[in-house]
Amino acid sequence: MNPIRHYFQLQFTMLNRHISEFGLPPWLGYLLSGVLFVGLSFYLYYQTGYAPYLLLFWAFGFMANMGDRNRNDFLKSCYKAPEYRAIRLLENGIIALPFLMVLSIKGDYWVALAVIAATLILAFRQIGRGSNYTLPTPFHRWPFEFAVGFRKTFIFHILAYFLAFMAVKSGNFNLGIFSLVLVFVICLTYYQDMEVAYYVWAHAQQPKVFLWNKIRTGLFYSTILSLPIAATLCLLKPGYWHIILVCQILGYAYLATVVLAKYSAFPKNIGLPQGVLLAMCFLLPPLLLLAAGWFYRQSAKKLQTILP
Amino acid sequence: MISIENLTKSYGAHQVLKGINLKLASGQVHGIVGENGAGKTTLFKCIAGLEDYGGNIESSFSPLKNHLGLLPTDPYFFSKITGREYLQLLCNARQQPLAGTDEKNIFDLPLNQYAATYSTGMKKKLALTAILLQQNEIFILDEPFNGVDIQSNMVITGIIHKLRSLGKTLLISSHIFSTLSDTCDVIYMLKDGQFIRQAGRDGFAEMEVEMRRFTVGDRIERLRLG
Repeated sequence: MNPIRHYFQLQFTMLNRHISEFGLPPWLGYLLSGVLFVGLSFYLYYQTGYAPYLLLFWAFGFMANMGDRNRNDFLKSCYKAPEYRAIRLLENGIIALPFLMVLSIKGDYWVALAVIAATLILAFRQIGRGSNYTLPTPFHRWPFEFAVGFRKTFIFHILAYFLAFMAVKSGNFNLGIFSLVLVFVICLTYYQDMEVAYYVWAHAQQPKVFLWNKIRTGLFYSTILSLPIAATLCLLKPGYWHIILVCQILGYAYLATVVLAKYSAFPKNIGLPQGVLLAMCFLLPPLLLLAAGWFYRQSAKKLQTILP
Repeated sequence: MISIENLTKSYGAHQVLKGINLKLASGQVHGIVGENGAGKTTLFKCIAGLEDYGGNIESSFSPLKNHLGLLPTDPYFFSKITGREYLQLLCNARQQPLAGTDEKNIFDLPLNQYAATYSTGMKKKLALTAILLQQNEIFILDEPFNGVDIQSNMVITGIIHKLRSLGKTLLISSHIFSTLSDTCDVIYMLKDGQFIRQAGRDGFAEMEVEMRRFTVGDRIERLRLG
C-alpha cells in the first residue's frame, strides 16, 4: 500500500478511536466538530472585527502543534524525504481547509492568503528546532498546569493582550471584555488533559485538600494573567466596573468547575458526561453551582482510590 | 516495615501476580530480578497503590504512599516543565520545602532546561533526585541503573548504601544482576508472577548461575547462527 495513504488511514483510525473514547460515534463527532467550528467562527465575526486575525491565529496554533519537533523527527525517521514533505503538506492543508472556507465566505482573502502561507511554511519549518530557550513564567512556586500551559499557549496570551491594547486604543470596551474572557478561556484549556496518575499519586494529601489546592492555585495564577487587563478596563471605563467584576467572577467559577470536572473523570480525560454538563454550564451559568457540586463529589470519590 | 501477603493482580483473564508474600524490613535493600513481563513493575505499582489488587499490604506508615518514593522505569515529564520546576512540583506534593536546589543537584543536571529534552539517563537522575528531596522513608526504584552513565551508576550505588545506613527501606529491580548483588541484602527471583527463589548475600553467586541457566538455556542454540 502507498505509505502516505496508509499513514492517513492510520491517522483516521486513531482519530475515530479518540472520538469513540470520548463517548461519541465518530460520525457524530465529526458532525459536532464541524457545527462547533462554523458556529464559533461566525460568532467571532459577530462579536469583533478582529475575527479573521483570530481565525488566522487559531489555524496557526493547530499547525504549530503538528510541527512539534519530536513528532516531526519521528515522521522523518519513518518516511523518505518526499513522502515526509507530502505528509506534512497534506496535514497542514487538511487543517487549513475549514479556515480557508470561512475566510473566503467572509471575503477576507488576504487573511486566507496568510493561512496558505502558514500552511506552506509550517509544513517545512519545525517549531522549537534548535532552540534551548526556556520561557520564564511567574508560576515557579506551584509549577504544573500554569507553567506548562502558559509556555504552550503564550502566543495566545500575546494575542489577548494585543486585543486589550487595541481595545484601549480605540476605546472599544466590548473588545476589552472579549480579551479578558479570552485569557480565562486559555487558562481553562490547561485542564483539558489528565496528567499521568503518578503526578496525583505523589501528593501526600487527601482528595479534598488536593482539589482545594488545585483550585486555589488556578484562581491565583489566573488572577496574575487576567488582572492587568481587568484593571486597565476599570481605568478605561470606571462606570462599567461591575461588568468587569462579573466577568472576573464568572472566569473564576468556570475555572474551578473545570478543575473539578477534570478530576471527576480521573484517571481518564474529560468524557461525554462531563463535556455535556460543562457545555450546559456555558449556556446557562447558574448551572455552575449544581455542576461544581456534582463534579466535586465525583472527583473526591475517584481520587480516593489513589489519595487515601 | 512493609508486609505483603498473598498479593494477586490480574488484567482481565491474565493473572500477573499469583500470591506474592514479601516482608520488607527497614534498613535493608531488597532486590527483585525477573524477565520482562515477570510482574516486577506491576508489583511495584500495587505496593505504591497505583493499581488495585487482591491480598494484603500492611505497613508501619499510614498511608504508605505518603512516605514512599517511586522511581518508575520510564519517568514521565510534561513537555514544558523545567528540571527545577519538576523538583519543586514533587516537593510541593509532599509539603517538603525545597531550598538549596543547586547544591542538591548532585548529578549536575541542567535544571533550567525542559525536562522532556533530557536524555534517558538524565530523566532518570532527575526523577531520582526528586524522590530523594521528598525525604521519603521507603524507596521503590524500578531499574534505577538503566540508561545511566557509569559515573552516575556509582553515585546511585552510593546513595543506596547511604539510604540503607539511614534505616530506610528499599526495593530495587534490575536486569543487571551485578548491580543488585553490589547493593542488596536479599534478592528475590520473580517468574510468571511468583517468587521462585530468594537468596541472601551468601547465595547471590549461586542464584546468578541458576538464573543464567534457566534464562539463557538453549535459546541461543535455537537461533542456529552458524
